[in-house]
Amino acid sequence: MKVGVIIFPGSNCDRDTIEAVERLGMEAIPLWYTRKSLTGIDRLILPGGFSYGDYLRSGALAAQAPIMEAVEQAVSRQELPVLGICNGFQILCERGLLPGALRPNSSGEFRCTWEYMRITSVPRGFAGLKEGDVLRLPIAHHEGAYAVQPGQLQSLFENHQIFLQYSDETGSVHALTNPNGAVANVAGISQGLVVGLMPHPERAMASYLGSSDGQRFLKAWLGEGSQ
Amino acid sequence: MNFRDVGLTQEEFEIIQSQLGRNPNDLELGLFGVLWSEHCSYKSSKSLLSWLPHEGRAVVQGPGENAGVVALNDRLHVAFKVESHNHPSYVEPVQGAATGVGGILRDIIAMGARPVALADSLRFGTDNSAAIIQNGVVEGIGRYGNAIGIPTVTGEVAYSSVYDKNPLVNVMAVGLLPLDRGVNAQGARPGSYLVLLGQPTGRDGIHGASLLASQDFGDATEHMRPTVQVGDPFMGKMLMEATLAAIATHKLDAVQDLGAAGLTSSVAELCYRSGVGATIRLEEVPCREQGMTPYEIMLSETQERMLLVVSPDNWPGIEPIVQHWEVPYSVIGEIMDEPHLVITMRGDIHAMVPPEILAGSCPSRPARSEWANEIRQNVPHLTSFRPLTFDPEQALAVLGSVDCRSRHRIFERYDSMILANTVWGPLHDLAILRTKGSKEGLAIALSGPGRYAARDPYSGGLAAVSRVVGLLAAQGADVLGLTDGINAGNPDKERVFRELTGLIAGVADACNIFAVPVTGGNVSLHNETEGDSIWPTVVIGAVGRHHHPLEPVPDSPWQEGMDIVRIYPGGDWSLGASVFELLFSQLSAYPRPDLERIRRVYQALDEAWNKIPSYGVRMIGAGGLFVAATKALLAMPASLGMEISVSPDDAVRQLFSEVSGQFLIFCDPQATPRLMELLGPGIAGEIIGSVTPDSNLVIRAGRAHRFERTKLDRTFRFGYGG
Repeated sequence: MKVGVIIFPGSNCDRDTIEAVERLGMEAIPLWYTRKSLTGIDRLILPGGFSYGDYLRSGALAAQAPIMEAVEQAVSRQELPVLGICNGFQILCERGLLPGALRPNSSGEFRCTWEYMRITSVPRGFAGLKEGDVLRLPIAHHEGAYAVQPGQLQSLFENHQIFLQYSDETGSVHALTNPNGAVANVAGISQGLVVGLMPHPERAMASYLGSSDGQRFLKAWLGEGSQ
Repeated sequence: MNFRDVGLTQEEFEIIQSQLGRNPNDLELGLFGVLWSEHCSYKSSKSLLSWLPHEGRAVVQGPGENAGVVALNDRLHVAFKVESHNHPSYVEPVQGAATGVGGILRDIIAMGARPVALADSLRFGTDNSAAIIQNGVVEGIGRYGNAIGIPTVTGEVAYSSVYDKNPLVNVMAVGLLPLDRGVNAQGARPGSYLVLLGQPTGRDGIHGASLLASQDFGDATEHMRPTVQVGDPFMGKMLMEATLAAIATHKLDAVQDLGAAGLTSSVAELCYRSGVGATIRLEEVPCREQGMTPYEIMLSETQERMLLVVSPDNWPGIEPIVQHWEVPYSVIGEIMDEPHLVITMRGDIHAMVPPEILAGSCPSRPARSEWANEIRQNVPHLTSFRPLTFDPEQALAVLGSVDCRSRHRIFERYDSMILANTVWGPLHDLAILRTKGSKEGLAIALSGPGRYAARDPYSGGLAAVSRVVGLLAAQGADVLGLTDGINAGNPDKERVFRELTGLIAGVADACNIFAVPVTGGNVSLHNETEGDSIWPTVVIGAVGRHHHPLEPVPDSPWQEGMDIVRIYPGGDWSLGASVFELLFSQLSAYPRPDLERIRRVYQALDEAWNKIPSYGVRMIGAGGLFVAATKALLAMPASLGMEISVSPDDAVRQLFSEVSGQFLIFCDPQATPRLMELLGPGIAGEIIGSVTPDSNLVIRAGRAHRFERTKLDRTFRFGYGG
């Protein structure tokens, strides 16, 4: 399987993401942002970082990069699973490929910590994750507070689009387990085959790095996980 | 323009006149002003720094280049250095600190290394504005490091009113390079192009090095704001990728970053080290503003710029790389045989100076080795402060004091995990990183308590080296090299120069005893405002080879029944310069570390990994045994606690003494006798307690004092009474 990893100017988790994909036995293809075609790519990751220095607004400039035209087309034809991590999530929201937006953390500060989060609903195509599973993954962001239009949250829940919520170790979701002010502790959402999350699974690939739950998550996204 | 306008002395001006054989013009005077400034020339510290040992088995590149380089193994080298950005961080905290990070990263990149880690050592005051300065500095470090994508993996912070108007921001960067990737500033060959990469040059930071960082603060400081540069980590990232990709072609003659004194320092240093001259055409320098004068272009300290030297034959292979990364660039001149730096603009010659005079002839202040000897022999009187009774409230006050409590409010604002190498991050006393593709990892420590140098700088110098070497020894890691960040007041004052002499003599003596080299560093003087100077403060960064980075020696116990052993290198218990003393008495001299004994402790710890099946170790530092034990307890599973006994008649000193060379060891009772054997004669190892199934801390000093885990946790995280 060929997993494309888009590199925008200012992406900085691209290497970590490529290494994580390769560690799972897949072929990772770096894709520079000027590409206009995704031919031959089976799955696509938008990695974390500070594309275009986060100038204007996180993800706003990268959302207009040439390659995003091709991403949009592939998504509309429902043929390409897309995963946006951190800045990649912000870019997907800015492009309108995922609902909602990421606002600055309620503390007003960047935050890098380990967090627990529970799988609220399993997005399409994931294998090996089930509702109620708890993952431990790191977050590292300044604009990670997921926000939606008034009234939109309920429909996202009803459509099973809210897939990941910050929780405690046992999977219980409450105000004390919200690291950034996200509405309803939302850490990740999905829409069809497009998935976005703020935490960094590519940094949690081994227990000596703090957790191997990222490996489990990425395996599931690749459709390779087991129960 | 007068020589005083550019910060030169009469004597220096006369040397320039006689070496040039004429009067310098205004531009030339400006060039001398910046290059002969304290910040660029190290004129007051150079002779003192010559006391430091630079040789070591692992040393590939010692001082004199952009950064030191040591060998991790037969495939990887490590480039690393500490640098300060003190003055700019007081004038404009966010940008001052951010550009400090950018600057030290470029030093590492200019050696051909890809940065893998940052570490920060911060000193702030205690007045009302200190919190604002701290918030800005932390924001600035995070903003640059997080965006360029280099993790800040360890660091330290301390507070005193002496830093009210002179906060210290020392940042260390560490990078890795494959064995054959090395590049430096010595290879420029005649005929090669000088290619300037990066941010277009603007009017920012003119005289940042010569006037801002090389003079004391006074009334005029407010006008210095324009001398602070502005950082752009996005451009920094693109410049880093372009430079590293260009170096990887092996087709560059030399690389030099542009930092303090901008183009002036960069070109002069490069030519001087390579033994060549250069012509620079200023009309080719991309500028942000119209009508910039030669003086402004040469002295601008615009950030995110790099100078590549590449032969005309090789340039066609390099240009597309730079274009790919969308970094502005321009060929601004050529290297030539004749040893002259010629600066032209549209055909007119504006300056012509031999690089040797510019970069190599600044007179330096002679070291006073007789002072160092006096200082060594003149051991200060130790405090007789010896409180009789142990008060649990005092213990909590120490734990929750600014110098001891958790730094999470700072380090959570830094990305400490990007690049996915961080096995131990800022929750621990040192950082441990894996290296991809090698068994050996990196152990990185940065420390330098100013309190210990406040009354006896020599003792503080010894202690700073002793601490980082000990942190690495506890992991069984080999110290590959050290980098020194020296910060002090105005060296023209005899008192300050004496302090500096003691401090550096201490560092040098400790390096010699531990047989560890210093491969480069930074000196920041004139940390003085309206006549008040900071404590002489040395920050030592250490880089070590960790033999089992995926499996660090734990720094807390993990099961019930484990012995808690205290190692004490001998000598008198003393509270000198401890946090306890600071809070409840008056700061006195720090007891001089007994380095010969401490070296034996380190040797024992170094051997322990191979000889003792499983154990944990934690160095006792600020706050003494009480704080070290509490930190270990808070890192243990919540179901476990500790019980520790100290002698009732000397409980306070035993619990709060910060004498160098103390450790807590946690080990299985069956292994304790072997540990004691390893320590050898003369080193006190004493079982002082054990791990209990009760989740709290019990201190027995005659009677038992019980500290609830939740209370300890709250005090450590939020401060005493918090």
